[in-house]
Amino acid sequence: MTWLIVTREVREFYRDGRFLFGAGLVAVLFITAFLVGYEQRQNVFSEREVAQQLDYDDWINQPERHPHDAAHQGMHVFKPIPPLSFVDPGITNYVGSTQWLKAHRQTEVKFRPAQDATGLQRFGSLTPAWVIQVLGPLLIIVLGFNSFSGEREQGTLRQLISLGVPSWKLLRGKALALFLGAFLLIAPLLLFSVWAVSGDDLAGSRHDTLIRSGFLVLGYLVYLGIFIFVTLAVSALTATSRISLIVLLAFWIIGTTLAPRALVDVARMVYPIPNQAEFNTQLNQELQREYAEAWQEHFGTDKRWGSDVPLSRWGEALRVDDYAGYDAIDRHFGALWDRYEDQRRLQEFFGLLFPMLSIRSYSMAMSATDFTHHRDFATSAEDHRRLIQDLISSNLTQHADGHGERHFDYKVGKEFWSKVPRFEYAAPAAFFALQGSLNSLGVLLASLLISIAFAFWSSRNLI
Amino acid sequence: MKSFSLILRNEWRIMIADKSLILVCTLLTLLLSYGFFIGLSEAVSRDERVRELVSQQERGQSGIVEQIQRIVSGHEKPDVFANPLNPALVGSGLGSLYAIMHSGALSPLALGQSDLLPDHYRVSTRNKTTFMYQTENESPWNLLTGRFDPVFVLVYLLPLFIFAISYNLLSSEKEQGTLRMQLSHPVTLQTLMFGKLFARLVPVLGVTILAVIVPFLILRGDAVMVSGQLPHLVVAIIIIGAYGFFWFAVTLFVNSFGFSSASNALILVGTWVFLVLVAPVLLNVFVSRMSPAPSRIELATETRLITIDGLNRYHELLSSDYRHIKDSSMLVPSDGKFEVPERLQAFYLINKAVDEKIETLLGDFESRLRAQQDLVERFGFVSPSVLTYEGLVSLAGTGTRRYQDFKQQVNDYHREWKEFFEPRIMSGQIVTVADFEKLPRFTWQEPDVSILLAGSLAKALQIFLATVVLFALGFMRLAKVDVL
Repeated sequence: MTWLIVTREVREFYRDGRFLFGAGLVAVLFITAFLVGYEQRQNVFSEREVAQQLDYDDWINQPERHPHDAAHQGMHVFKPIPPLSFVDPGITNYVGSTQWLKAHRQTEVKFRPAQDATGLQRFGSLTPAWVIQVLGPLLIIVLGFNSFSGEREQGTLRQLISLGVPSWKLLRGKALALFLGAFLLIAPLLLFSVWAVSGDDLAGSRHDTLIRSGFLVLGYLVYLGIFIFVTLAVSALTATSRISLIVLLAFWIIGTTLAPRALVDVARMVYPIPNQAEFNTQLNQELQREYAEAWQEHFGTDKRWGSDVPLSRWGEALRVDDYAGYDAIDRHFGALWDRYEDQRRLQEFFGLLFPMLSIRSYSMAMSATDFTHHRDFATSAEDHRRLIQDLISSNLTQHADGHGERHFDYKVGKEFWSKVPRFEYAAPAAFFALQGSLNSLGVLLASLLISIAFAFWSSRNLI
Repeated sequence: MKSFSLILRNEWRIMIADKSLILVCTLLTLLLSYGFFIGLSEAVSRDERVRELVSQQERGQSGIVEQIQRIVSGHEKPDVFANPLNPALVGSGLGSLYAIMHSGALSPLALGQSDLLPDHYRVSTRNKTTFMYQTENESPWNLLTGRFDPVFVLVYLLPLFIFAISYNLLSSEKEQGTLRMQLSHPVTLQTLMFGKLFARLVPVLGVTILAVIVPFLILRGDAVMVSGQLPHLVVAIIIIGAYGFFWFAVTLFVNSFGFSSASNALILVGTWVFLVLVAPVLLNVFVSRMSPAPSRIELATETRLITIDGLNRYHELLSSDYRHIKDSSMLVPSDGKFEVPERLQAFYLINKAVDEKIETLLGDFESRLRAQQDLVERFGFVSPSVLTYEGLVSLAGTGTRRYQDFKQQVNDYHREWKEFFEPRIMSGQIVTVADFEKLPRFTWQEPDVSILLAGSLAKALQIFLATVVLFALGFMRLAKVDVL
């Protein structure tokens, strides 16, 4: 019986051309988005790979020089591109891609691609994720808004019920038909991912990418599922197809365009962040305090790099100075980044009403393009910088400090350069993403359950 | 004409009775006011931040001047790395000044690129990569989402309100069976439809324009007048008006086919999805493929290579020992001369070399971005939303071009700054109190207003053209009886 309903619904979709037209349009956009994203990723990926290699080669082959000067040259590390970034680039365009590991101070991850684009990008980017998140629900609404109300208008609903078809079976059949439509939308995502992974010897193990793809598809099915049940529920409740359509469109528009922006304001109000100037002032004040304390403790003076500390102790001083700052830097950046995460989490909770808010963040996490993944990269790049600094300062303490006044005559060569390991960044595994997405996934599942309950409740009495 | 005004009055009476018009106008006013509130609070906090930076800078400068006086008069011994007499240190950070672009009077209208691109740089003798990439603290998630500013309400939501109130202009009359009755009066279908349309258009656009103008005049009136940006406001209103007319023309055109209300709603939302959501995104793909940004990775690699080259070239200078540490009398000038530590000279030269080398690369970035912006303007006609957004953002002074002009001016200022310090660093002249008076200062030059206004008017004109075409097509279709 259920299959009878499903086939009848699907046939109806095809007959009035709605499905072919809507899904066709979505599919064209979807495939374009895939190809554009995939090609871009391929280009940037190979470029970064080469640059990273060259960078390390130059480091190893630099001539003999004072280690601290070498630290001024530093090393660039480039953020690897996650395999699934072509499905959902997430915040990639709004965060930097390159970190210059240099002496003295933690540097920001620089070069946001968004800075090299026009204001048009603020309308959004054409990505497969965008197509599913924004246009997917619309397609479902267009297909399903008259599921019940249309039959009611034509009088066929009464006939069906009089035949003894239980309303829950009707609901199940119609939902399955819509799911079929949704799956057709998602199927290319699955296929493309598998294809991309199979021909891919790029970063991240295939296994991990497959797990991520699986969860991604699952998340999107839940997301579209919510809209399927809401659509059916509204169609069952409303008197005419026109009202059903208007209500659903309003729900879709509020959820996909209005709510995300309004909630940015809410999040900024609940979790305010200091502006750059305030942040720097606070950080610098604390750094000055910590430096003064550390120098006082070790060298009996609170003046950094002054005449009170002889050159024969500069290697030691470098180490003391570095370590004095780490704590304050970690605390301040940590607090700022925690705030970003808090803001995101707050918005995710509103996914209960507007599922777009939770799927967006879930999808980014699964594609490894969210802030949590970015933070993981920035932290390990900074760890690498500290490692280089440690190697340099301990080398200076052991050797250069003995040179006394001629401290800067001291030089090291290849033997020392090769002690600095290559920066090997292993992107976190799928489990890491899942752990960070418990919140958004939980919200998505909860709204699916609510929408199912809503659909069953509203279809209990169809006439 | 008489029947037209009769239709108008009749429509108003109905819409006031069923409260739909009041609801739409109230919601629109509320959303626009909220957008204005967000835009204004961002503009105010940006202005405050700039004021705070300037006062911090002034405090810092006067502190340095006092310190110089103390050192010269022998009351204080300077530090090696914070010696205010040392031109290499003053130029590279100690005395750095901000280059600031002030926000425009209309900036609450559209946040545009202002949350992404910096409106101030702290210029020093170091190379551009060290200070040109400072960014404001903002969660990338928020940058990706965008903000709830007036331009968002206008570009995205205004069309939807127009649909809400006029999607069933003709179909509702047909569905209720009142159309035949109406047409039994001596009135044509065209007059009837235009009457119904104008009964909606006038209040909706009137409220929209008032909701934009009134808060500006009340809360930003002085700023608008003082900065002479009243013409900007007028042009902004023309664009908003044109955009509103366009969407009314779309509803008339769709209605003229005589479909059912549900079909009209679907077609209108489909049009909205295409013109507001999809077309700009596709145009963005097109633009970034036609004029792709050069590789930032190449820039990073180039910067590093030239730094290595500098480290090799100035090897000797860099190896010079820090005699200054031991012999602090070297930190104090004699006869206005002073021995700038050779390491610092070397770092200045390395930075200079980096700047020279990456100049073409950075220029390439800018020219590509300019080309992208040109393309956006040339092909903006694909969507009135793009035209409206671009027009309003540039009038608000938060568009890509203004930020590019700012970068260009900072570029020139950076050169001026280095020219001021280079002879002092290389010949070891000390920085005096008088020098602080003579330090080059940045003043933001607003680009040519007439170009901006003409460009924005051209955008409004393009929208008007599309509107006229749609109105004419709708009018012709309505003349056919088969609509009934």
